[in-house]
Amino acid sequence: MQFANDDQARDPNHLLLSEEAGPGVSRRVFLKAGLTGGLLAAAGGVWSSLLPASAQGPSTTRARYAMIIDTAKCTGCGACRNACNLRNHLPENVSFIRFCGKGEAGKEQCMPVQCQHCADAPCETVCPTRATYRTEDGVVLVNEKLCVGCRYCEVACPYQARHFDHERGVVDKCWLCLDYVLGGGEPACVHACLRGARLFGRLDDPESEVARLVNSGQAKQLHPEFGTDPAVLFYIFE
Amino acid sequence: MQQAWHWLPAIYLFLGGLGAGAFLVAAAVDLTGERYRHEFCPTTLVGSTISGPAVAVGAALLIFDLGAGRQEPWRIFYMFGNFSSVMTWGIWILSLFIPLCFAYGFLELMEVYPEVWQRITGRFGFLKNLPVRRVKRSAVAVGSVLAVATGVYTGVLISAVGPSMPLWSAGVWPGLPVPMMPLLFLVSAVSTGMGLTIDLSATIALPEVQRRFDSLPIIHMVAIGLEAILVGLLLYSANNLGGAGAVSASTMVAGHMRAAFWIGFVAIGLVFPFVVHAYALGAGSHSPLSGIGSGLGIVVAGLFLRYIILASGVPPLL
Repeated sequence: MQFANDDQARDPNHLLLSEEAGPGVSRRVFLKAGLTGGLLAAAGGVWSSLLPASAQGPSTTRARYAMIIDTAKCTGCGACRNACNLRNHLPENVSFIRFCGKGEAGKEQCMPVQCQHCADAPCETVCPTRATYRTEDGVVLVNEKLCVGCRYCEVACPYQARHFDHERGVVDKCWLCLDYVLGGGEPACVHACLRGARLFGRLDDPESEVARLVNSGQAKQLHPEFGTDPAVLFYIFE
Repeated sequence: MQQAWHWLPAIYLFLGGLGAGAFLVAAAVDLTGERYRHEFCPTTLVGSTISGPAVAVGAALLIFDLGAGRQEPWRIFYMFGNFSSVMTWGIWILSLFIPLCFAYGFLELMEVYPEVWQRITGRFGFLKNLPVRRVKRSAVAVGSVLAVATGVYTGVLISAVGPSMPLWSAGVWPGLPVPMMPLLFLVSAVSTGMGLTIDLSATIALPEVQRRFDSLPIIHMVAIGLEAILVGLLLYSANNLGGAGAVSASTMVAGHMRAAFWIGFVAIGLVFPFVVHAYALGAGSHSPLSGIGSGLGIVVAGLFLRYIILASGVPPLL
């Protein structure tokens, strides 16, 4: 039997498909598709891990912010909560600030709880997209563009400080009113407190009131046994 | 109670475990050679073909449960990047495991229906020399590792939150730093896998299954007993923590989860199948009806267990 060429001799019935021969998926196309898919996944992973994990403020000096809440002075009036809700356009039943009771029965003190901006933040550890990150100033923020709304950070936060926004599909929380703070001001909740139960300042300024209270041990972390090392929120328990 | 994860994540955890367990049972039957001693093996057929769709549907439901990730699905590619997050581990494991499940299912089907394989190799000639059985064995071996990873990582995922949810991070014994959830989820995965691929498949398709696998009822009873012991230890360990852990434990057995726990899990998932298999052991036969009953019970209880554990998660009181 005569064949026109070696290919035809090997494959007289044209069962070995190439890209030139008829319809159907060739091995090359299949491999290309698989590699592309794998590269896409890897690229997505590399891209998100290269995203800068910190946001630089206008000042080059690294600040260490602190907010101290004096539970003896707090009356639970809710002014801080209202100010925060107003600022963040939160509905009535939602809040970045919760009020918890603290102390023995009859001598209970009011303790507002919000994001503690932990140095070892579990929300940052568990976030698969790195949407949650900690700035060099120690503020824990959420990059809305990366958040997929899986809510893992919500269950991972021992202070239950994170809130899922059903409309935007992302998780939100206290962001320390960073725009006010970087401009030299203070967060809305601090500003709103009528009794002066909230203090705000920089720990890197040794003359500041907050530095004095934290360094003397009067202002303490809330539940340090959780192991998350709150770095911005401190409490005075009388 | 925690407010973040409800039914959809529970169904995903269940389907992930079921698919992984079904894969592992089929793999065990295949790799030990038992599959080839008989003409027709419903266990490997069901295990290989159902595992892929089960895990894939679970993953799809999970994507549906996302917020912004559902509105802008390309964000899901970002989830591959943070290796400190167990969720990232999970998405990598599933991305490798799911295709392998489908490959195993396809190859098993081709062995069972060689005439279909003939038609395919007629169309895609380059597949003609593929050693189906050898490729299948490799897929099964690699897939088994991924199946264990799938069964375990879901437990690691919820236990990794540590003090934020004492029930989920409770140890195998008070004071021991080994979390219970990864072990419990793996055992439950294998148990539901057996329920699907043996009780709901072999028992129906092969009337004389008892004689083919003599130790079958004992294996079932051991799995059920082990699951009962692990859940009991979980409750003991969580209760021992006091605070939120104790509240979670009492929620499960005496609180608003008690009906789901005692009826949905203990009665239909542990007691009933155990009794059915004990009877089969004694009687020497396993009727298709009892197979369906115990299989459904084991599988449904797997879903109940996942849901109960999620719904009973109580964060610490501050």
